[in-house]
Amino acid sequence: MDIIIPLFDAMSYVLILVLIALGLMIVFGMMGVINMAHGELFMIGAYVMVLIQSAGLPFVFGLVLAPIVVGFLGLIIETLLIRHIYLRPLDTILATWGLSIALKQGIVLVFGPEAQSVTSPLDATLVLGDFSYPMYRLIVMGISIALIAGTFWLFLKTDFGLMARAVIARPDTSAGLGINTRKLYRWSFVVGTALAGLAGALIAPTISVDPQMGLGYLIPGFLSILVGGAGPLAGVLVGGGAVGGTNSLLTVWISPVAAQIAVFILAILVIRLRPNGILGGKNEK
Amino acid sequence: MLEIQQLKAGYGEAMVLNDFTFTLPKGQITALMGRNGMGKTTLLKAIMGLIPVKSGQILLKGSPLENLPTYLISKSGIGYVPQGREVFDDFSVYENLRLAALGSSIKNLSLLPQIYDWFPILHERRNQKAGTFSGGQQQILAMARALMTRPEVLLLDEPTEGIQPNIVHEIGLKLSQIAEETELTILLVEQNVHMVKTMAEEILFMENGRLMASCSMAELNQDDALLHRYLTI
Repeated sequence: MDIIIPLFDAMSYVLILVLIALGLMIVFGMMGVINMAHGELFMIGAYVMVLIQSAGLPFVFGLVLAPIVVGFLGLIIETLLIRHIYLRPLDTILATWGLSIALKQGIVLVFGPEAQSVTSPLDATLVLGDFSYPMYRLIVMGISIALIAGTFWLFLKTDFGLMARAVIARPDTSAGLGINTRKLYRWSFVVGTALAGLAGALIAPTISVDPQMGLGYLIPGFLSILVGGAGPLAGVLVGGGAVGGTNSLLTVWISPVAAQIAVFILAILVIRLRPNGILGGKNEK
Repeated sequence: MLEIQQLKAGYGEAMVLNDFTFTLPKGQITALMGRNGMGKTTLLKAIMGLIPVKSGQILLKGSPLENLPTYLISKSGIGYVPQGREVFDDFSVYENLRLAALGSSIKNLSLLPQIYDWFPILHERRNQKAGTFSGGQQQILAMARALMTRPEVLLLDEPTEGIQPNIVHEIGLKLSQIAEETELTILLVEQNVHMVKTMAEEILFMENGRLMASCSMAELNQDDALLHRYLTI
């Protein structure tokens, strides 16, 4: 049991990380936007849950509302900021970094700097012999798997996904075939931000909700893309698994500092040996 | 069908096209020839809205296209086969064609049987990844993909580049057949004289971003001095 519970914890962390990294990857792969505010959108999803709980509304309502609120915020951000700096990664770092500071300070103004907590909607524990594990964490894992599968389905099996993958590979050629690239950019950005909001809402009962929480997921999210490869969606799974698994397991077995060092060594090794990431192919652009 | 009037376009401050003017009559195959760097590809990119137009007009059946976004230019009836083919390597043949159907104003696959009839190899290999095709097969796919958008005018940028001679001839004959069947207007940017002689009815010669001369294929067959003047170094 000493091994199984940390493995479950690691899996839970990996799945949330993959959800966050998927949003980041869609936005970066398609629009060349390095969204430094992605962690804050995740954080706002968690704060939507704080509001829902303080208003006495059902938890499930928060799970529905969080992606809608954050997706709508994403739509506003895309319209006012991101669309003017598409395909200019360095400019996007600066612009979204500024945005992340503004969002954090906005939350501090409304909720204060102190941490908030969200009560788990389910106190039950799954007990199998000597093994026991909180039911809510298992449900989060199940929902995360369904969301990841849904995102893969959206991008690999639908017309929207076909057009989105075409725009990622060859934006000008896609436009020359009549594809409205601006519209695809916009809705892909909204999908990416809504995923972050939902991830924040899902995980809110298991962590402390505070204005700095986004950064703790943003950096591992970027490292997941770096390690897995910024191109194929499956790269996010591999990268998220490698980064999240290493981080979570070594934190328990050795120390948080050793885990961080191991993650950075892993990233350096991958950059050295496979500059496009483990699954990253050639760039067609 | 397609009128270009005093077009100026280029990259940043550098103008590549200088008062370029010509008209493509409906259903005619016109070849645009000239040495490398004279502005042929830039002209096609300007028509497609892939580079900004500084001044002048691009009219399709009288409607202005200049400065429209590229996807609307495509939807208004201009098909584009870019230099280097630019097929989607990781997509199957079917996905490449489905993508073009999604981009077209019709948004359905009703033209697909006709495309497979024109290019049977695409039907045989419809599930094969485009990246595994030879250069000639990719060129056929790129042309079929552009035709899926149901263009009235097709712009072809050096379709014979890097393709073996027997395929070049085959492509030329097939495009001529399609143009005749569908009254498609074609602007062919090409340096391969054999391809031009297989397909074109009129030839335009370009130098330093300007239209310098034009002649019919019959005139060119009698006297190829223009070819020597505008194509040899």
